[in-house]
Amino acid sequence: MINLSEVYKMRDKLRKWREENYRNSEQIVDVGEELINEHASKLGDDVWIIYEQVMIAALDCSRDDLAWSCLQELKRQFPDSHRVKRLAGMRLEALERYEDANKLYDSILQDDPTNTAARKRKISILQAQGKSSEAIRELNEYLEQFVGDQEAWHELSELYINEHDYAKAAFCLEELMMTNPHNHLYCEQYAEVKYTQGGLENLELARKYFAQALKLNNRNMRALFGLYMSASHIAASPKVSAKVKKDNVKYAAWATSQISRAYQMAGRGKKENKCSVKAVEEMLESMQITMS
Amino acid sequence: MGEVELSCLAYAKMYLHASQFPRCSVNGLLLSSSPAGAAVCITDCVPLLHSHLSLAPITQLALTQVDAWCSQTQQRIVGYYQANACVSDSSPTPCALKIAEKIFEQCNNTVLLMIDGEKMFPSCRVPPIVMYERKDARWALKDKHAIMLRQWEETCSIVNQLFSSGDQTLLVDFDSHLDDITKDWTNQKLNAKIMELISPANGNV
Repeated sequence: MINLSEVYKMRDKLRKWREENYRNSEQIVDVGEELINEHASKLGDDVWIIYEQVMIAALDCSRDDLAWSCLQELKRQFPDSHRVKRLAGMRLEALERYEDANKLYDSILQDDPTNTAARKRKISILQAQGKSSEAIRELNEYLEQFVGDQEAWHELSELYINEHDYAKAAFCLEELMMTNPHNHLYCEQYAEVKYTQGGLENLELARKYFAQALKLNNRNMRALFGLYMSASHIAASPKVSAKVKKDNVKYAAWATSQISRAYQMAGRGKKENKCSVKAVEEMLESMQITMS
Repeated sequence: MGEVELSCLAYAKMYLHASQFPRCSVNGLLLSSSPAGAAVCITDCVPLLHSHLSLAPITQLALTQVDAWCSQTQQRIVGYYQANACVSDSSPTPCALKIAEKIFEQCNNTVLLMIDGEKMFPSCRVPPIVMYERKDARWALKDKHAIMLRQWEETCSIVNQLFSSGDQTLLVDFDSHLDDITKDWTNQKLNAKIMELISPANGNV
């Protein structure tokens, strides 16, 4: 017999995953299914948000049986809710019944044109169908109205990256950096886009933003490698002045020492890391030769 | 172009990689420890990315590191694999073609392998892969009969065993390595587990 404190532990786990927006759907189904099947009465009002969370996770794991039963409970408790209607739409999406899902979302939007959740689901359907240019167009229109929606800006940057439209991806990331100046991931992604665009000016921007990302989080390995690679490329370019070359050689050397240090600490005592550590060492050596 | 043989180890890791990130496009490199010749024997693979496949810095970094590791371990990069996030479309993306071209500069038997997500279910009788080869300056579909997967049934059963034992979570790709550099992208541990499962069936796949 499970005791109350264990039930609360499971409930708290679900809350943590919900708050941090983890998509660990198999785990959520594992924990959540037991909770709602055996202990629903002990959860109080939390049970409804748990039904919602478990339902979405169940869709992710192709557990239509579980998703359906969660949906029924929610429909019974909240018969006219748009939020529940959206969940019904998501189930139709999971079954690839996109036309039916769209009809549902359209009916929500007729009732409430400001319902952002329904609009975003419609855009997700376009993505699932591989209609990227339409998804991009709809998302742009959405952002004209809801200009503060971070999630949407990030989604748009991802779509542009997939379409190799790096200039527009950079624009989206600039929006995100402006509103989230302390987020090292946005800086680092922006730097990666700039690096990909290429050319001396973009490489210098890339280096600056990799450096910025490191300032915000000195353990961001992508930013560290990015700084190393952009500085090395700038230093190796025939178009730069002697001073710029010297500065970038310095940046690259600093990055090299940080990378070596990080890998030495990581490799300590772990036999299986020897291969990756050695590969990095050799790579750094070979790039140093080409730079001088 | 000649035959291509795909080893159980390479296939299993590619399959595990695509399964680990079902919502993302994933890619990786195909390696061979056999000498260059008319036939290509893909003996291993290195899973690379599950995000931002088309951005340059991490891809360049990964290629350089894998290259360095290959020269240390007497292997060569002989190809590239990719599984698209959109399951219904298994055609090579511009990014896939670009990387395959780059590999072709060094290896004229380069294999471009796309994983067909729609065929990735346990009871499927056909390998969920589509192979391309360089022919007349473009990438053309390879004749299915020139592709060999030895012991296909055993390979499937080994993949199933990895899933049931939970060992599929051991797989580390280059992206995950960058998130935590104590993780080994050469997957020594997983390789050993897979080789253990292979050895009773076939001595040297």
